[in-house]
Amino acid sequence: MDIAGALSVDHLKFLADGFKLTLYVAFISIVLSFIIGIVFGTLRYANIPFLSKVVAVIVETIRNLPLLLIIFFIFFALPEVGLKLSPTVAAIAALTVFESAMLAEIVRSGLNSIDKGQIEAARSSGLTYIQTLVSIVMPQALRRMVPPIVSQFISLLKDTSLCVIIALPEFMHNAQIIYAQNINFIIPIFVVVAFMYFIVNYCLSLIARRLESRQA
Amino acid sequence: MIRFDTVNKYFGDFHVLKNINLEINKGEVVVVIGPSGSGKSTMLRCINRLETITDGELTVNDLKVNDKKTDINQLRRNIGMVFQHFYLYPHKTVLENITTAPMKVLKQSKEEAEKVARYYLEKVGIPEKADSYPSQLSGGQQQRVAIARGLAMKPEIMLFDEPTSALDPEMIGEVLDVMKALAKEGMTMVVVTHEMGFAREVADRIIFMDHGQILEQGKPADFYANPKEERARLFLSRILNH
Ligand SMILES: Nc1ncnc2c1ncn2[C@@H]1O[C@H](COP(=O)(O)OP(=O)(O)OP(=O)(O)O)[C@@H](O)[C@H]1O
Ligand SMILES: [Mg+2]
Repeated sequence: MDIAGALSVDHLKFLADGFKLTLYVAFISIVLSFIIGIVFGTLRYANIPFLSKVVAVIVETIRNLPLLLIIFFIFFALPEVGLKLSPTVAAIAALTVFESAMLAEIVRSGLNSIDKGQIEAARSSGLTYIQTLVSIVMPQALRRMVPPIVSQFISLLKDTSLCVIIALPEFMHNAQIIYAQNINFIIPIFVVVAFMYFIVNYCLSLIARRLESRQA
Repeated sequence: MIRFDTVNKYFGDFHVLKNINLEINKGEVVVVIGPSGSGKSTMLRCINRLETITDGELTVNDLKVNDKKTDINQLRRNIGMVFQHFYLYPHKTVLENITTAPMKVLKQSKEEAEKVARYYLEKVGIPEKADSYPSQLSGGQQQRVAIARGLAMKPEIMLFDEPTSALDPEMIGEVLDVMKALAKEGMTMVVVTHEMGFAREVADRIIFMDHGQILEQGKPADFYANPKEERARLFLSRILNH
């Protein structure tokens, strides 16, 4: 084991670059998939003729595909039909597609968990369907959704490492390059990588706990 | 004011309401009783279109409830509803529970809506609970908030679906008192309840339902003393003896 060699300044900088890209890709994907997930989840919940069915089919299809396949498809198959994306954009696109579908399902079941009686109470007082959704159902459902949404974000952050297969220079990718040079680097590099993933994800779960307890 | 004209309703193949004919006048207090599953809730819920009728005609203030041209939200603001399980909004304070519909539907300002809300909270006897959350209230208090929430829309009609059935016995009285006061002020009320004391004191009419039909109706005193239908007699003896 060569700790000093493994954790040289150059290596740490290189790891930091990878880590920054991981955070960047994860962050953009989180924001996009959060928005899309809420829209799709709500559309599916709302039972709009035809539209809800279409959304259901899309969401279910994506949810049942391995993320790796989606990454491959976007990076390697789309260029065949003339859509060539850089590894970063392809990674963001793939993660967004996949996580949107996961979040849509979380949103839908969150909305479904609100007692129908409350909806009837609101509707019977003259509120429209949309008003009921926005001011009665959504706020309560969002609170219940915080834990599953955050754990989905944590998996998203971890899943960015799957983008090594399209040579996205993210955290895991750069770590691999370093320990590939020298077998003695493996353990120290792994420890650092594990530690960094842990720190970020742990912070996320702390935030989630704060949000939950504040609303309880 | 409310008129059922040979109304039928099916849930799939199941015939829940059978040829309902009923007219309820302004200011009348009507109590609906009958065995479980006889269609009481369903009939009540048709009035504000929480359920849609299959055929016949149902009008409220001469407006056809199930007509496509009827603005259902317009109709509903005139009909308050109180449920067995209260259904207060748990994420809103008592005051917000009451002001939501007046602000969103009647476009009242916040100040105005809160003034109205406090007035009705006073009226149902819990002005000090304005800033509490529903989970901090007893069942009886929650139901009184639900009544205040309905009244804040200044409806002409109030519907009650077993408003005291989910309450502990010692809280039933406080809710019934509010409802009695309302009845005496001339509110048009349709109340599904087995509370005989309430019916005797303020109801103008009792309606007995069984298997989706209105089997018998009459003044409370006559009905309780001398029900004509065998099934009504059986039903009364059951609720009296437990
Ligand atoms: N949404 C529904 N779909 C199918 N059947 C229903 C539905 N709602 C009610 N029913 C059935 O219709 C019948 C009448 O129900 P309803 O709730 O009106 O009875 P009720 O007289 O209010 O009874 P309870 O005293 O138990 O409240 C019951 O047999 C019930 O199972
Ligand atoms: Mg009922």
